[in-house]
Amino acid sequence: MRAVGIAGIGHTKFGRLDYDLVDIMAWSSLEALKDAGIEGGIDQVFVANMGAGAINNQTGIASALVSRIFLEPAMAETIENGPASGASAVKCGYLAIAAGMADTVLVTGGERMRETTGWKATDFVATLTHPDAEYPYGLTLPAYGGMFTRAYMERHGLTEKHLAMIAVKAHQNAEKNPFAHIEETASIDGIYDGPHREVVNPVMADPLRLYDLCPVSDGAASVVLTAMDTAGRFKKRPIRIAGIGQATDTHCVFNRDDLLDLKAVRLAAERAYAMAGIGPKEISFAELHDAFLILEVAESEEVGFFPKGGAKKAIERGETEIGGRIPINTSGGLKAKGHPVGATGVSQIHEIVKQLRGEAEEGRRVKNPRYGLAVNFGGFGNNVVATILAKE
Amino acid sequence: MPTTTELYAVDRNVYAYRCPECGALYYPAPMICRKCRNRRDPSTTVYSDFEKVPLGGPCKLLTWTRIYALPEGIDRPSLAFGVVEFTNGIRAVGVLMTEKPKTGALLEARPGLVRELVRRDCYGLQLFDPSP
Repeated sequence: MRAVGIAGIGHTKFGRLDYDLVDIMAWSSLEALKDAGIEGGIDQVFVANMGAGAINNQTGIASALVSRIFLEPAMAETIENGPASGASAVKCGYLAIAAGMADTVLVTGGERMRETTGWKATDFVATLTHPDAEYPYGLTLPAYGGMFTRAYMERHGLTEKHLAMIAVKAHQNAEKNPFAHIEETASIDGIYDGPHREVVNPVMADPLRLYDLCPVSDGAASVVLTAMDTAGRFKKRPIRIAGIGQATDTHCVFNRDDLLDLKAVRLAAERAYAMAGIGPKEISFAELHDAFLILEVAESEEVGFFPKGGAKKAIERGETEIGGRIPINTSGGLKAKGHPVGATGVSQIHEIVKQLRGEAEEGRRVKNPRYGLAVNFGGFGNNVVATILAKE
Repeated sequence: MPTTTELYAVDRNVYAYRCPECGALYYPAPMICRKCRNRRDPSTTVYSDFEKVPLGGPCKLLTWTRIYALPEGIDRPSLAFGVVEFTNGIRAVGVLMTEKPKTGALLEARPGLVRELVRRDCYGLQLFDPSP
Protein backbone atom coordinates (compact mmCIF):
# COMPACT_ATOMS: atom_id res chain seq x y z
CA MET A 1 0.00 0.00 0.00
CA ARG A 2 1.10 3.58 -0.62
CA ALA A 3 2.18 5.70 2.34
CA VAL A 4 -0.25 8.53 3.10
CA GLY A 5 0.39 11.87 4.76
CA ILE A 6 -1.37 15.09 5.70
CA ALA A 7 -0.32 18.06 3.61
CA GLY A 8 -2.76 20.73 4.75
CA ILE A 9 -4.95 21.57 7.73
CA GLY A 10 -7.83 23.99 8.28
CA HIS A 11 -10.14 24.84 11.17
CA THR A 12 -12.92 27.25 12.06
CA LYS A 13 -13.48 28.69 15.47
CA PHE A 14 -15.62 26.30 17.55
CA GLY A 15 -18.59 27.77 19.40
CA ARG A 16 -21.76 29.34 18.08
CA LEU A 17 -21.44 30.07 14.38
CA ASP A 18 -24.41 31.73 12.71
CA TYR A 19 -23.59 30.51 9.23
CA ASP A 20 -24.96 27.79 7.02
CA LEU A 21 -23.39 24.39 7.83
CA VAL A 22 -21.91 24.01 4.34
CA ASP A 23 -20.41 27.52 4.53
CA ILE A 24 -18.76 26.55 7.83
CA MET A 25 -17.31 23.41 6.26
CA ALA A 26 -16.27 25.37 3.14
CA TRP A 27 -14.28 27.78 5.32
CA SER A 28 -12.17 25.08 6.99
CA SER A 29 -11.78 23.26 3.64
CA LEU A 30 -10.41 26.38 1.94
CA GLU A 31 -8.06 26.96 4.89
CA ALA A 32 -6.72 23.42 4.50
CA LEU A 33 -6.20 23.87 0.74
CA LYS A 34 -4.45 27.19 1.39
CA ASP A 35 -2.25 25.56 4.03
CA ALA A 36 -1.32 22.82 1.56
CA GLY A 37 -0.56 25.43 -1.09
CA ILE A 38 -3.05 24.10 -3.64
CA GLU A 39 -6.27 25.46 -5.12
CA GLY A 40 -7.71 22.26 -6.55
CA GLY A 41 -6.61 18.89 -7.81
CA ILE A 42 -8.70 17.10 -5.21
CA ASP A 43 -9.72 13.62 -6.38
CA GLN A 44 -12.04 12.73 -3.52
CA VAL A 45 -13.88 14.53 -0.72
CA PHE A 46 -15.07 12.83 2.45
CA VAL A 47 -17.38 14.79 4.74
CA ALA A 48 -17.85 13.72 8.36
CA ASN A 49 -21.18 14.72 9.85
CA MET A 50 -23.79 13.29 12.17
CA GLY A 51 -26.71 15.67 12.34
CA ALA A 52 -27.22 17.64 9.12
CA GLY A 53 -30.38 15.73 8.25
CA ALA A 54 -31.80 15.71 11.77
CA ILE A 55 -30.79 19.17 12.99
CA ASN A 56 -30.14 21.32 9.92
CA ASN A 57 -32.71 19.79 7.56
CA GLN A 58 -30.00 19.28 4.96
CA THR A 59 -28.79 16.08 3.31
CA GLY A 60 -26.23 15.28 0.62
CA ILE A 61 -23.79 17.73 2.20
CA ALA A 62 -20.66 16.23 0.61
CA SER A 63 -22.04 17.13 -2.83
CA ALA A 64 -23.08 20.56 -1.52
CA LEU A 65 -19.58 21.23 -0.16
CA VAL A 66 -17.88 20.24 -3.41
CA SER A 67 -20.11 22.62 -5.34
CA ARG A 68 -19.72 25.46 -2.80
CA ILE A 69 -15.95 25.55 -3.30
CA PHE A 70 -15.85 24.44 -6.97
CA LEU A 71 -14.13 21.09 -6.53
CA GLU A 72 -16.29 19.33 -9.14
CA PRO A 73 -15.88 16.67 -10.52
CA ALA A 74 -14.20 15.23 -7.38
CA MET A 75 -15.75 12.07 -5.95
CA ALA A 76 -17.65 12.85 -2.74
CA GLU A 77 -19.31 11.00 0.12
CA THR A 78 -20.61 11.78 3.59
CA ILE A 79 -19.47 9.51 6.42
CA GLU A 80 -21.77 9.14 9.43
CA ASN A 81 -20.30 7.15 12.30
CA GLY A 82 -21.71 9.03 15.28
CA PRO A 83 -19.13 11.06 17.21
CA ALA A 84 -16.37 8.97 15.55
CA SER A 85 -17.39 10.22 12.08
CA GLY A 86 -14.33 12.47 11.79
CA ALA A 87 -11.66 9.82 12.27
CA SER A 88 -13.70 7.38 10.18
CA ALA A 89 -13.67 9.88 7.31
CA VAL A 90 -9.89 10.26 7.65
CA LYS A 91 -9.63 6.46 7.57
CA CYS A 92 -11.68 6.41 4.36
CA GLY A 93 -9.39 9.03 2.86
CA TYR A 94 -6.37 6.96 3.84
CA LEU A 95 -7.88 3.86 2.24
CA ALA A 96 -8.75 5.69 -1.01
CA ILE A 97 -5.16 6.84 -1.43
CA ALA A 98 -3.52 3.63 -0.21
CA ALA A 99 -5.67 1.64 -2.62
CA GLY A 100 -4.68 3.88 -5.52
CA MET A 101 -8.15 5.28 -6.21
CA ALA A 102 -7.04 8.83 -5.40
CA ASP A 103 -3.84 10.83 -4.96
CA THR A 104 -5.22 13.76 -3.01
CA VAL A 105 -8.24 13.71 -0.68
CA LEU A 106 -9.96 16.48 1.25
CA VAL A 107 -11.54 15.37 4.53
CA THR A 108 -13.82 17.85 6.26
CA GLY A 109 -15.80 17.28 9.43
CA GLY A 110 -18.50 19.75 10.34
CA GLU A 111 -21.53 20.19 12.55
CA ARG A 112 -23.96 22.95 13.39
CA MET A 113 -25.64 21.86 16.61
CA ARG A 114 -26.50 25.22 18.13
CA GLU A 115 -29.15 25.82 15.48
CA THR A 116 -31.46 23.90 17.80
CA THR A 117 -32.22 24.04 21.53
CA GLY A 118 -29.94 22.39 24.08
CA TRP A 119 -32.45 19.69 24.97
CA LYS A 120 -33.10 18.88 21.32
CA ALA A 121 -29.34 18.59 20.73
CA THR A 122 -29.11 16.28 23.75
CA ASP A 123 -32.03 14.24 22.45
CA PHE A 124 -30.45 14.04 18.98
CA VAL A 125 -27.18 12.67 20.37
CA ALA A 126 -29.21 10.23 22.51
CA THR A 127 -30.50 8.61 19.30
CA LEU A 128 -27.15 6.79 19.37
CA THR A 129 -28.53 4.64 22.19
CA HIS A 130 -30.57 1.46 21.72
CA PRO A 131 -34.06 2.34 20.40
CA ASP A 132 -35.85 -0.16 22.68
CA ALA A 133 -33.65 -0.75 25.70
CA GLU A 134 -32.13 2.72 26.28
CA TYR A 135 -33.58 5.64 24.31
CA PRO A 136 -37.23 5.34 25.47
CA TYR A 137 -36.10 5.93 29.06
CA GLY A 138 -34.74 9.36 28.24
CA LEU A 139 -31.27 7.97 28.74
CA THR A 140 -28.66 10.42 27.42
CA LEU A 141 -24.93 10.14 26.77
CA PRO A 142 -24.19 12.34 29.83
CA ALA A 143 -26.27 9.85 31.89
CA TYR A 144 -23.93 7.06 30.82
CA GLY A 145 -21.04 9.42 31.55
CA GLY A 146 -22.37 9.85 35.08
CA MET A 147 -22.89 6.12 35.65
CA PHE A 148 -19.44 5.31 34.26
CA THR A 149 -17.86 7.99 36.46
CA ARG A 150 -19.53 6.67 39.61
CA ALA A 151 -18.43 3.10 38.89
CA TYR A 152 -14.86 4.28 38.16
CA MET A 153 -14.68 6.42 41.31
CA GLU A 154 -15.96 3.58 43.48
CA ARG A 155 -13.45 1.09 42.04
CA HIS A 156 -10.34 3.24 41.69
CA GLY A 157 -10.73 6.02 44.25
CA LEU A 158 -10.83 8.87 41.73
CA THR A 159 -12.36 11.99 43.26
CA GLU A 160 -14.24 15.03 42.02
CA LYS A 161 -11.06 17.00 42.68
CA HIS A 162 -9.15 14.90 40.14
CA LEU A 163 -11.79 15.76 37.53
CA ALA A 164 -11.61 19.43 38.47
CA MET A 165 -7.82 19.30 37.94
CA ILE A 166 -8.35 17.94 34.42
CA ALA A 167 -10.94 20.65 33.71
CA VAL A 168 -8.48 23.35 34.79
CA LYS A 169 -5.81 21.85 32.50
CA ALA A 170 -8.27 21.73 29.57
CA HIS A 171 -9.22 25.37 30.06
CA GLN A 172 -5.56 26.42 30.30
CA ASN A 173 -4.80 24.73 26.97
CA ALA A 174 -7.96 26.01 25.28
CA GLU A 175 -7.22 29.53 26.39
CA LYS A 176 -4.16 29.48 24.11
CA ASN A 177 -5.98 27.78 21.23
CA PRO A 178 -7.53 30.37 18.89
CA PHE A 179 -10.12 27.84 17.67
CA ALA A 180 -11.44 26.84 21.11
CA HIS A 181 -15.08 27.28 22.10
CA ILE A 182 -14.34 28.02 25.76
CA GLU A 183 -12.09 31.03 26.32
CA GLU A 184 -12.41 31.38 30.09
CA THR A 185 -9.92 30.22 32.66
CA ALA A 186 -11.01 27.85 35.39
CA SER A 187 -9.44 27.38 38.80
CA ILE A 188 -9.70 24.74 41.49
CA ASP A 189 -10.83 27.50 43.86
CA GLY A 190 -13.66 28.48 41.53
CA ILE A 191 -15.02 25.11 40.45
CA TYR A 192 -14.14 22.80 43.34
CA ASP A 193 -13.22 24.55 46.59
CA GLY A 194 -15.06 27.83 46.27
CA PRO A 195 -18.13 28.91 48.29
CA HIS A 196 -20.25 29.25 45.15
CA ARG A 197 -19.41 25.83 43.72
CA GLU A 198 -23.03 24.69 43.47
CA VAL A 199 -23.88 27.76 41.39
CA VAL A 200 -20.69 27.94 39.29
CA ASN A 201 -20.30 24.20 38.79
CA PRO A 202 -23.65 22.47 39.43
CA VAL A 203 -24.23 18.73 39.22
CA MET A 204 -25.43 17.75 35.72
CA ALA A 205 -25.21 13.94 35.68
CA ASP A 206 -24.31 12.98 39.23
CA PRO A 207 -21.38 12.84 40.01
CA LEU A 208 -20.46 14.76 36.84
CA ARG A 209 -20.65 18.53 37.13
CA LEU A 210 -20.93 21.25 34.49
CA TYR A 211 -17.14 21.60 34.17
CA ASP A 212 -16.80 17.85 33.62
CA LEU A 213 -18.82 17.95 30.37
CA CYS A 214 -18.07 19.30 26.90
CA PRO A 215 -20.14 22.14 25.45
CA VAL A 216 -22.48 21.87 22.46
CA SER A 217 -20.59 23.48 19.59
CA ASP A 218 -20.70 24.43 15.94
CA GLY A 219 -17.57 24.20 13.84
CA ALA A 220 -15.56 22.44 11.18
CA ALA A 221 -12.06 21.08 10.66
CA SER A 222 -10.34 19.84 7.50
CA VAL A 223 -7.24 17.98 6.39
CA VAL A 224 -5.74 17.40 2.94
CA LEU A 225 -4.42 13.86 2.58
CA THR A 226 -1.93 12.92 -0.07
CA ALA A 227 0.16 10.02 -1.24
CA MET A 228 3.64 10.50 0.21
CA ASP A 229 5.07 9.77 -3.24
CA THR A 230 3.48 13.02 -4.51
CA ALA A 231 4.48 15.04 -1.45
CA GLY A 232 6.83 17.28 -3.38
CA ARG A 233 4.04 19.44 -4.79
CA PHE A 234 2.99 20.76 -1.37
CA LYS A 235 4.26 23.73 0.61
CA LYS A 236 5.13 21.68 3.68
CA ARG A 237 6.45 18.16 4.11
CA PRO A 238 3.33 16.04 4.87
CA ILE A 239 2.93 14.46 8.29
CA ARG A 240 2.72 10.70 7.75
CA ILE A 241 -0.25 8.63 8.91
CA ALA A 242 1.64 5.85 10.68
CA GLY A 243 -1.26 3.80 12.01
CA ILE A 244 -5.03 3.57 12.07
CA GLY A 245 -7.02 1.14 14.21
CA GLN A 246 -10.72 0.76 14.77
CA ALA A 247 -12.90 -1.52 16.90
CA THR A 248 -16.51 -1.88 17.98
CA ASP A 249 -18.23 -3.02 21.17
CA THR A 250 -21.79 -3.80 22.34
CA HIS A 251 -24.47 -1.27 21.45
CA CYS A 252 -25.91 -1.39 24.99
CA VAL A 253 -23.25 -0.44 27.53
CA PHE A 254 -24.92 -2.61 30.20
CA ASN A 255 -24.21 -5.73 28.14
CA ARG A 256 -20.44 -5.42 28.62
CA ASP A 257 -18.98 -7.96 31.04
CA ASP A 258 -17.28 -5.13 32.91
CA LEU A 259 -19.03 -1.74 32.71
CA LEU A 260 -15.65 -0.01 32.98
CA ASP A 261 -13.96 -1.99 30.21
CA LEU A 262 -13.60 0.25 27.13
CA LYS A 263 -12.56 -2.68 24.98
CA ALA A 264 -13.01 -0.87 21.66
CA VAL A 265 -10.61 1.88 22.78
CA ARG A 266 -8.00 -0.70 23.78
CA LEU A 267 -8.34 -2.73 20.58
CA ALA A 268 -8.38 0.33 18.30
CA ALA A 269 -5.17 1.59 19.95
CA GLU A 270 -3.51 -1.83 19.78
CA ARG A 271 -4.33 -2.09 16.08
CA ALA A 272 -2.97 1.41 15.42
CA TYR A 273 0.22 0.64 17.39
CA ALA A 274 0.69 -2.60 15.45
CA MET A 275 0.31 -0.82 12.12
CA ALA A 276 2.73 1.92 13.18
CA GLY A 277 5.20 -0.59 14.61
CA ILE A 278 5.43 1.25 17.93
CA GLY A 279 3.95 1.05 21.43
CA PRO A 280 2.44 3.56 23.86
CA LYS A 281 5.88 4.54 25.19
CA GLU A 282 6.78 6.06 21.81
CA ILE A 283 3.76 8.40 21.81
CA SER A 284 4.78 11.99 22.59
CA PHE A 285 1.27 13.42 23.23
CA ALA A 286 -2.37 12.53 22.62
CA GLU A 287 -5.80 13.92 21.87
CA LEU A 288 -8.34 11.76 23.71
CA HIS A 289 -12.11 12.00 23.28
CA ASP A 290 -13.14 13.66 26.56
CA ALA A 291 -16.81 14.42 25.99
CA PHE A 292 -16.94 13.70 29.75
CA LEU A 293 -13.71 14.14 31.66
CA ILE A 294 -13.83 10.59 32.98
CA LEU A 295 -13.21 9.46 29.40
CA GLU A 296 -9.82 11.17 29.31
CA VAL A 297 -8.95 9.22 32.45
CA ALA A 298 -10.25 5.84 31.26
CA GLU A 299 -8.96 6.18 27.68
CA SER A 300 -5.48 7.14 28.89
CA GLU A 301 -5.37 3.77 30.65
CA GLU A 302 -6.89 1.76 27.80
CA VAL A 303 -4.34 3.08 25.28
CA GLY A 304 -1.53 1.97 27.58
CA PHE A 305 -0.21 5.25 29.02
CA PHE A 306 -1.03 4.14 32.58
CA PRO A 307 -2.14 0.89 34.23
CA LYS A 308 -5.85 0.47 35.08
CA GLY A 309 -6.60 2.84 37.94
CA GLY A 310 -3.19 4.49 37.51
CA ALA A 311 -4.29 7.69 35.79
CA LYS A 312 -5.17 9.22 39.16
CA LYS A 313 -1.52 9.37 40.25
CA ALA A 314 -0.49 10.74 36.85
CA ILE A 315 -3.02 13.56 37.21
CA GLU A 316 -1.71 14.36 40.68
CA ARG A 317 1.86 14.48 39.34
CA GLY A 318 0.91 16.69 36.37
CA GLU A 319 2.09 14.08 33.86
CA THR A 320 -0.68 14.90 31.38
CA GLU A 321 -0.06 18.66 31.35
CA ILE A 322 1.99 20.52 28.74
CA GLY A 323 5.58 19.72 29.71
CA GLY A 324 4.51 16.56 31.50
CA ARG A 325 5.52 13.02 30.57
CA ILE A 326 2.58 12.54 28.19
CA PRO A 327 0.58 15.72 27.51
CA ILE A 328 -3.08 14.95 26.85
CA ASN A 329 -5.56 17.21 25.07
CA THR A 330 -3.17 20.01 24.30
CA SER A 331 -5.94 21.62 22.22
CA GLY A 332 -8.23 21.89 25.26
CA GLY A 333 -9.96 18.66 24.25
CA LEU A 334 -13.66 18.31 23.60
CA LYS A 335 -14.14 19.65 27.12
CA ALA A 336 -12.90 23.15 26.34
CA LYS A 337 -12.09 23.32 22.63
CA GLY A 338 -15.65 22.15 21.96
CA HIS A 339 -17.42 19.19 20.38
CA PRO A 340 -19.19 19.70 17.05
CA VAL A 341 -19.62 15.93 16.80
CA GLY A 342 -18.86 15.36 13.11
CA ALA A 343 -15.89 17.75 13.24
CA THR A 344 -14.26 16.40 16.39
CA GLY A 345 -12.26 13.51 14.93
CA VAL A 346 -10.84 15.71 12.16
CA SER A 347 -10.11 18.47 14.67
CA GLN A 348 -8.10 16.01 16.78
CA ILE A 349 -5.99 15.10 13.71
CA HIS A 350 -5.60 18.83 12.95
CA GLU A 351 -4.15 19.32 16.45
CA ILE A 352 -1.74 16.39 16.08
CA VAL A 353 -0.44 17.80 12.78
CA LYS A 354 -0.10 21.27 14.25
CA GLN A 355 1.93 19.96 17.18
CA LEU A 356 4.13 17.70 15.03
CA ARG A 357 4.91 20.66 12.77
CA GLY A 358 5.82 22.76 15.81
CA GLU A 359 3.08 25.26 14.93
CA ALA A 360 1.03 25.08 18.14
CA GLU A 361 0.77 28.33 20.08
CA GLU A 362 3.34 29.25 22.71
CA GLY A 363 2.38 27.87 26.10
CA ARG A 364 0.64 24.80 24.75
CA ARG A 365 3.37 23.55 22.42
CA VAL A 366 4.75 20.06 23.00
CA LYS A 367 8.55 19.87 22.98
CA ASN A 368 10.08 17.81 20.14
CA PRO A 369 7.16 15.47 19.49
CA ARG A 370 7.71 12.41 17.28
CA TYR A 371 4.39 10.51 17.37
CA GLY A 372 0.91 11.80 18.25
CA LEU A 373 -2.15 9.65 19.00
CA ALA A 374 -5.81 10.63 18.51
CA VAL A 375 -8.72 8.61 19.89
CA ASN A 376 -12.17 9.37 18.45
CA PHE A 377 -14.90 7.69 20.51
CA GLY A 378 -18.31 6.91 19.02
CA GLY A 379 -21.50 6.20 20.98
CA PHE A 380 -20.46 5.31 24.50
CA GLY A 381 -17.43 3.41 23.24
CA ASN A 382 -19.22 1.17 20.76
CA ASN A 383 -17.16 2.40 17.78
CA VAL A 384 -13.69 3.83 18.30
CA VAL A 385 -11.01 4.96 15.85
CA ALA A 386 -7.39 5.50 16.89
CA THR A 387 -4.97 7.33 14.59
CA ILE A 388 -1.21 7.72 14.96
CA LEU A 389 0.68 10.41 13.05
CA ALA A 390 4.47 10.55 12.74
CA LYS A 391 6.93 13.34 12.08
CA GLU A 392 9.67 12.26 9.71
CA MET B 1 -62.63 9.49 24.85
CA PRO B 2 -59.66 7.18 25.47
CA THR B 3 -56.51 8.79 26.80
CA THR B 4 -53.24 8.71 24.86
CA THR B 5 -52.03 6.04 27.24
CA GLU B 6 -55.04 3.84 26.48
CA LEU B 7 -54.83 4.46 22.74
CA TYR B 8 -51.18 3.82 22.15
CA ALA B 9 -49.98 1.54 24.93
CA VAL B 10 -49.92 -1.93 23.42
CA ASP B 11 -47.83 -3.88 25.85
CA ARG B 12 -46.46 -2.36 29.02
CA ASN B 13 -44.13 -5.21 29.88
CA VAL B 14 -40.41 -5.40 29.27
CA TYR B 15 -39.13 -8.69 27.91
CA ALA B 16 -35.94 -10.67 27.71
CA TYR B 17 -35.72 -13.14 24.81
CA ARG B 18 -34.88 -16.84 25.06
CA CYS B 19 -33.45 -18.82 22.15
CA PRO B 20 -35.78 -21.80 21.54
CA GLU B 21 -32.84 -23.98 20.44
CA CYS B 22 -30.28 -23.58 23.21
CA GLY B 23 -32.11 -21.57 25.90
CA ALA B 24 -29.68 -18.63 25.90
CA LEU B 25 -31.31 -15.48 27.29
CA TYR B 26 -30.88 -11.98 25.81
CA TYR B 27 -31.88 -8.39 26.45
CA PRO B 28 -32.54 -6.59 24.22
CA ALA B 29 -33.53 -8.99 21.45
CA PRO B 30 -30.80 -9.95 18.94
CA MET B 31 -31.57 -11.36 15.48
CA ILE B 32 -29.37 -14.41 15.96
CA CYS B 33 -28.32 -16.49 18.95
CA ARG B 34 -24.68 -15.75 19.78
CA LYS B 35 -24.22 -19.26 21.19
CA CYS B 36 -25.90 -21.60 18.66
CA ARG B 37 -26.40 -19.19 15.69
CA ASN B 38 -30.13 -19.92 15.60
CA ARG B 39 -31.92 -17.17 13.65
CA ARG B 40 -34.78 -15.13 15.17
CA ASP B 41 -37.71 -14.13 13.00
CA PRO B 42 -40.22 -11.79 14.73
CA SER B 43 -42.72 -12.48 11.90
CA THR B 44 -42.27 -16.29 12.30
CA THR B 45 -42.42 -16.50 8.47
CA VAL B 46 -39.08 -18.16 7.84
CA TYR B 47 -37.77 -19.02 11.31
CA SER B 48 -39.37 -19.12 14.75
CA ASP B 49 -39.38 -16.14 17.12
CA PHE B 50 -37.54 -16.22 20.41
CA GLU B 51 -39.58 -16.83 23.56
CA LYS B 52 -40.54 -13.66 25.43
CA VAL B 53 -39.64 -13.75 29.12
CA PRO B 54 -41.04 -10.89 31.25
CA LEU B 55 -38.20 -8.94 32.83
CA GLY B 56 -38.60 -7.71 36.39
CA GLY B 57 -38.30 -8.64 40.02
CA PRO B 58 -35.26 -8.67 42.33
CA CYS B 59 -32.09 -7.12 40.94
CA LYS B 60 -28.83 -5.57 42.08
CA LEU B 61 -27.86 -1.95 41.37
CA LEU B 62 -24.46 -1.85 39.61
CA THR B 63 -24.17 1.92 39.10
CA TRP B 64 -26.45 4.94 38.88
CA THR B 65 -26.74 8.65 38.13
CA ARG B 66 -29.21 11.49 38.40
CA ILE B 67 -29.38 13.84 35.42
CA TYR B 68 -30.60 17.42 35.39
CA ALA B 69 -30.51 18.16 31.63
CA LEU B 70 -33.37 16.09 30.30
CA PRO B 71 -34.45 15.27 26.76
CA GLU B 72 -37.96 15.74 25.37
CA GLY B 73 -40.94 14.11 27.05
CA ILE B 74 -39.87 14.11 30.68
CA ASP B 75 -41.82 16.54 32.82
CA ARG B 76 -39.73 16.71 35.97
CA PRO B 77 -36.59 18.54 37.14
CA SER B 78 -34.34 15.50 37.30
CA LEU B 79 -34.31 11.81 36.52
CA ALA B 80 -32.26 9.01 38.06
CA PHE B 81 -31.09 5.96 36.13
CA GLY B 82 -29.48 2.76 37.23
CA VAL B 83 -27.91 -0.28 35.61
CA VAL B 84 -29.15 -3.43 37.31
CA GLU B 85 -28.38 -7.15 37.11
CA PHE B 86 -31.09 -9.77 37.60
CA THR B 87 -30.55 -13.15 39.21
CA ASN B 88 -30.53 -14.80 35.77
CA GLY B 89 -27.56 -12.63 34.76
CA ILE B 90 -29.52 -10.34 32.46
CA ARG B 91 -28.68 -6.65 32.78
CA ALA B 92 -30.84 -3.66 31.97
CA VAL B 93 -31.17 0.03 32.57
CA GLY B 94 -34.11 1.41 34.55
CA VAL B 95 -35.51 4.57 36.10
CA LEU B 96 -34.68 4.76 39.80
CA MET B 97 -37.73 5.41 41.95
CA THR B 98 -35.77 5.27 45.18
CA GLU B 99 -34.67 8.48 46.94
CA LYS B 100 -31.21 7.43 48.07
CA PRO B 101 -29.75 4.91 45.63
CA LYS B 102 -26.61 3.03 46.61
CA THR B 103 -24.39 0.90 44.41
CA GLY B 104 -24.82 -2.77 45.32
CA ALA B 105 -28.30 -2.27 46.78
CA LEU B 106 -30.98 -4.87 46.11
CA LEU B 107 -33.94 -3.39 44.25
CA GLU B 108 -37.14 -4.57 42.65
CA ALA B 109 -37.81 -3.85 38.96
CA ARG B 110 -41.36 -3.36 37.71
CA PRO B 111 -42.61 -2.17 34.31
CA GLY B 112 -44.12 1.31 34.29
CA LEU B 113 -44.52 4.53 32.31
CA VAL B 114 -41.05 6.09 31.97
CA ARG B 115 -41.53 8.76 29.29
CA GLU B 116 -44.32 10.44 27.36
CA LEU B 117 -43.51 11.33 23.76
CA VAL B 118 -45.96 12.76 21.23
CA ARG B 119 -48.49 9.98 20.54
CA ARG B 120 -46.20 7.48 22.19
CA ASP B 121 -46.03 6.41 25.80
CA CYS B 122 -42.79 4.68 26.66
CA TYR B 123 -42.88 1.81 29.11
CA GLY B 124 -39.79 0.48 30.76
CA LEU B 125 -38.37 -0.76 34.03
CA GLN B 126 -38.82 1.27 37.19
CA LEU B 127 -36.54 0.40 40.07
CA PHE B 128 -37.97 0.45 43.59
CA ASP B 129 -36.72 -0.37 47.05
CA PRO B 130 -37.78 -3.97 47.68
CA SER B 131 -41.16 -4.48 49.29
CA PRO B 132 -40.83 -5.13 53.04
